[in-house]
Amino acid sequence: MTLTRHLWVPLMAASALATTMAAAQDTTLTYMMWDPAQLETEQAAIAEFEANHPGVTVEALAMPPADYWPRLSALAAAGDLPDVFAMSSGFVQSWAEAGNLADLSGLITDEQLAQYYDSAASVGVIGDARVAFPQNWVAPVMYYNIDMFDAAGVEHPQRDWTWDDFLAAAQALTVDENDDGTPEQYGMWLYGRYAHIEPWIFRNGGRLLNDDMSAIDPSPEAVNALEFLTSLVNEHGVAPAPADMEGIRQQDVFPLGMAAMWVDGSWNIANVRDVAGDSFEWGIAQVPVGPDATEETARAYAWADMLAIGNNSEQPDLAWEFIQHMVGEGRTASDFLGGKIPAFQAIAESEDWLEADMQPANKDLLLEIGTQPIETGFSRDWSAWRGYAASGSGGMNGELDEVFNGRSELDEAIENFVAYGNDVLSR
Amino acid sequence: MTPAWQRYAPALIFLLPALVGLAVFRLVPILWSFVLSFYDWQIFDQPSFTGLDNYIHILTSPVSGQVLLNTAVFGLIYVPGSIILSLILASVLNNALRSSAFFRSALFVPYITSTVAVTLAWKWIFSTRFGLLNNALAWIGIDAAPAWLADPTYALPAVAIVSIWKDVGFYMILLLAGLQTIDPTYYEAARIDGARVLRRFFRITVPLLSRSLFFVLIIAIVRSTQTFEITYALTEGGPNRSSTTLAYFVYENAFIHFQMGYAAALAYILCFVLGLLTLVNFYFRRRWVHE
Repeated sequence: MTLTRHLWVPLMAASALATTMAAAQDTTLTYMMWDPAQLETEQAAIAEFEANHPGVTVEALAMPPADYWPRLSALAAAGDLPDVFAMSSGFVQSWAEAGNLADLSGLITDEQLAQYYDSAASVGVIGDARVAFPQNWVAPVMYYNIDMFDAAGVEHPQRDWTWDDFLAAAQALTVDENDDGTPEQYGMWLYGRYAHIEPWIFRNGGRLLNDDMSAIDPSPEAVNALEFLTSLVNEHGVAPAPADMEGIRQQDVFPLGMAAMWVDGSWNIANVRDVAGDSFEWGIAQVPVGPDATEETARAYAWADMLAIGNNSEQPDLAWEFIQHMVGEGRTASDFLGGKIPAFQAIAESEDWLEADMQPANKDLLLEIGTQPIETGFSRDWSAWRGYAASGSGGMNGELDEVFNGRSELDEAIENFVAYGNDVLSR
Repeated sequence: MTPAWQRYAPALIFLLPALVGLAVFRLVPILWSFVLSFYDWQIFDQPSFTGLDNYIHILTSPVSGQVLLNTAVFGLIYVPGSIILSLILASVLNNALRSSAFFRSALFVPYITSTVAVTLAWKWIFSTRFGLLNNALAWIGIDAAPAWLADPTYALPAVAIVSIWKDVGFYMILLLAGLQTIDPTYYEAARIDGARVLRRFFRITVPLLSRSLFFVLIIAIVRSTQTFEITYALTEGGPNRSSTTLAYFVYENAFIHFQMGYAAALAYILCFVLGLLTLVNFYFRRRWVHE
């Protein structure tokens, strides 16, 4: 009897262990994201997660954004979302309102949260729920060609620059060598693109949307910013009309040395390095504070690339562990190319990420922006009313380009994009 | 006598897989998208029934109006342009260059080449500062050449020109096949009677080619409403929507803004317009097509 009982106990334990192991071996965590090249860099982190979680297999899948969103949307419609997936700041509100994202609020402690940039982490909070968590964030900055500044004897962009200082520099940096009326070198390059326009609006304390982001209602500060930007092309001639640059990739104008200054996303650091190489020295600066704002009321334009958990995930705790690993200590600085800033502060502040031996020499400026109040500018149906990606010819982008190209007045353009945007938002 | 169902049963069994595939992957989505056109449905959210709202919005919105007008203008350039050019090329190949496989192949190559690849080459040709076209114009003294793809006046015609260039080889082959069925004795008799080239063309070639021309006309009208890849790679519908046609607008709404119900309604309006045009063509067919 005793012997039987002694045998029974280990048998039960072995059976339970076998069951547990079998269950563990069956655990598959699905993960989907929008950048195949980035997924390659993430493979080491995924392998490490699997090694730390015996029996767990991560099924990772990546595709370009043009395929990613339709496919993820179809999976949402089918109620078959991956456990973990990449979520953009632009879509997080719509996806949260549709009830597709699990609430992470109860999963993260304040101590954990303190390890991440607060401004980036705040993007994933919709209403009272934290529905996505940042992996990295990006911010538009002003790129400037140091060689051109030095050749023109112009002081490099300063922290206390006003918009008049910026304009004076742009005028000095616009060079028409053969006096044919078409400068060979422009002081600035911009068009109606969101990353070219909104940084100035937000640094002037302006807003395009009303308080609850339900309607387009440009504030006077925003209109003043638009007037200033369009005057750069139409009045001062320090930036080319977008039509003149047709056929050149917009992100190549600055690195090809055609303009001395350019405001665009920090992710373009990688492209400027690739295209410009060592042909000139360049740096980054923050867009100057506008005349209608102070350092306190001006806001930085920044947003986060995030990870979220599907509302139908059967293993949210494991999914959250995976997110923590993929946004935090599981990553290295080399996983974040160029100007993608890790949301995990320890990596962002590391020497490896700051890359002191590469251009720009002042990459730490991006970290400073991360401590400022930010505006993402996104709302529901943002891509439609703003004019983004394959619909970039329409919406606000298309209307502003008409002004830059001298075919429309700013008042008319504002009236048109407000009417169109509000029609989109009211549908 | 064997009952009809027994006679057709083996054929139906063999056809069944194809019929099931047709029903599941074609007919059901076509019918389902019609149902969807009465819903507001962002694909990742729950659909909500909105009745005729999508259709009313499309027919009253200035943006949709502009898109419909662009589609009509594109068709008015593309359809006659591609038919006239392909007819001229087919006639030249049929007469002067009858044995030239080289020219036939050369003119057909754009049709079978990757659309995006050749469109990128055209994008460079039309480029404002560094484009082949504007540099050629500057070389002959025209310095104030337009920004072809960034000017609302020229962007849509530019898309139409590239579309014509791409498709003309296909229409040419269809018309060439028709031309080669025309009995040469008609031309010989006309020549003896003193008919000149143009008279022979309009009195013999065109009437006897009318069935092929009718087919090409229908195909060209359908294709004129379906232009997408060239628009996507050349102008992305710009500037300021001046080259956005209906098919591109459907794509934008479905796969950029994920407004599936709205996109479905747009697609059914496209389907209705196309069906109407085809019916009109078939009605007038008897007046100019020689059977």
